[in-house]
Amino acid sequence: MKLKYFVPLFVFIPVVLVQLTVIPFISIQGVVPNLVLIAVVYFSISNGQIFGTVTGASYGLLYDLISGNLVGSNMLSKTVAGFIAGYFAGETRREKYLYTYSFTFVVLISALIDSMIFSFFSVIDFNTNFLQALLNHALLPSIYTSVVSILVVVIPYKRAFD
Amino acid sequence: MFKLFSYVWKQFREYLVLVSLVIISLSLLTQNNNPKVQYVRAVAFGSFATVTSVFYDFFNITQLKNENQVLRRLNAEMMIQLSTLREYGILNRELKGMLGFKDTTSLPLIPANIVSKSLSITQNTITINVGRNKGIKPGMPVLSYLGFVGIIQTCSDNFSIARTLKNVDLKLTVKNEKKRLNGIMKWDGEKLVIVDVPRTYDFDIGDRIVTSEISSIIPVPIPVGVVSKIEEDKTGLLNLIHIKPFEEVLSVENVFILMMVENDEKNNLELNFYKRQ
Repeated sequence: MKLKYFVPLFVFIPVVLVQLTVIPFISIQGVVPNLVLIAVVYFSISNGQIFGTVTGASYGLLYDLISGNLVGSNMLSKTVAGFIAGYFAGETRREKYLYTYSFTFVVLISALIDSMIFSFFSVIDFNTNFLQALLNHALLPSIYTSVVSILVVVIPYKRAFD
Repeated sequence: MFKLFSYVWKQFREYLVLVSLVIISLSLLTQNNNPKVQYVRAVAFGSFATVTSVFYDFFNITQLKNENQVLRRLNAEMMIQLSTLREYGILNRELKGMLGFKDTTSLPLIPANIVSKSLSITQNTITINVGRNKGIKPGMPVLSYLGFVGIIQTCSDNFSIARTLKNVDLKLTVKNEKKRLNGIMKWDGEKLVIVDVPRTYDFDIGDRIVTSEISSIIPVPIPVGVVSKIEEDKTGLLNLIHIKPFEEVLSVENVFILMMVENDEKNNLELNFYKRQ
């Protein structure tokens, strides 16, 4: 059995720990970066689309159970986000999207999709202005998440997770 | 047949995995009130909260200095208020005695610390370090010294998860303290609003909003916030009342759980949307 299948499990606990304890202190007007999503995107690009999809689903489900969110909401959004991030995986693309600042762009796309799906199941209010809802619920958290994901590119020991 | 399956799997396996997991997610979304799902959730967050409580305390130390300063000032203000209230208390006792009223029992409050916060735009929840062992039950109100914070959603033995004011799933019956007008307050993902308020209702900016006795969840009036804006509904028939909460959910650290006295007779008579365990 390859070790790579277990790495996401070991990474999950510290990531969620930081997400739930430290990240609230750096929130800006209630907007927080989503470290769990950054991890999903990382594993998706490094290990392929199916791996990313399954990791997204597992992370989402566990996060739902731990954080008290609607069970299934994060699972659904992160499954799709992991799947989308998987399009940037592959032997030739991996170097390009994982170890350069393009990673933040992939995180931004995945975070937008993740936030939109998550918000759709949380706030179904057809009176709300769609563009405003998109800005507040999806765009701002996604931009914050992608900015924080720069750390994954600049931290020198990133290859340790491969 | 096997070859066909093999071919389909080879060609579309990414999509098959995606579709399967999406179906599982959607089916789980419909099972949130299932007792088995709730049990699994209670076990999961209960175990994890033990670890997060240690981490949260560590990172929270930096915040304590500022909090102490605020609390000292508040303490001084409260001391002045207390002496005034004592005077009122004496007067109140005399008047009640004159009217022949029985004194009301004080409601028990259990102090608790927040061990983790799950922040998102729509579903803010907090995990607190008291659970079933201290008698906490789903549906009990969580408050701070400033006002209402949320409602207990799930409990494990030693920890509980509470939905905060900034959670779209928390809808609360509130009332205008001065004008005695009731309404339903909810978080719409951006702001705290009392929805569907008839335009004839006399709400003013600055009016205090408290929880209403009509609510079958919260038996006592707890301060929630003040009216910050009055906006006309898109239909033009109703108003949307914006509320500025007294307690900022993002910064709250120490809370109390109101061990409310349940009124079984009332609960049996009324249609209670929140199913208690």
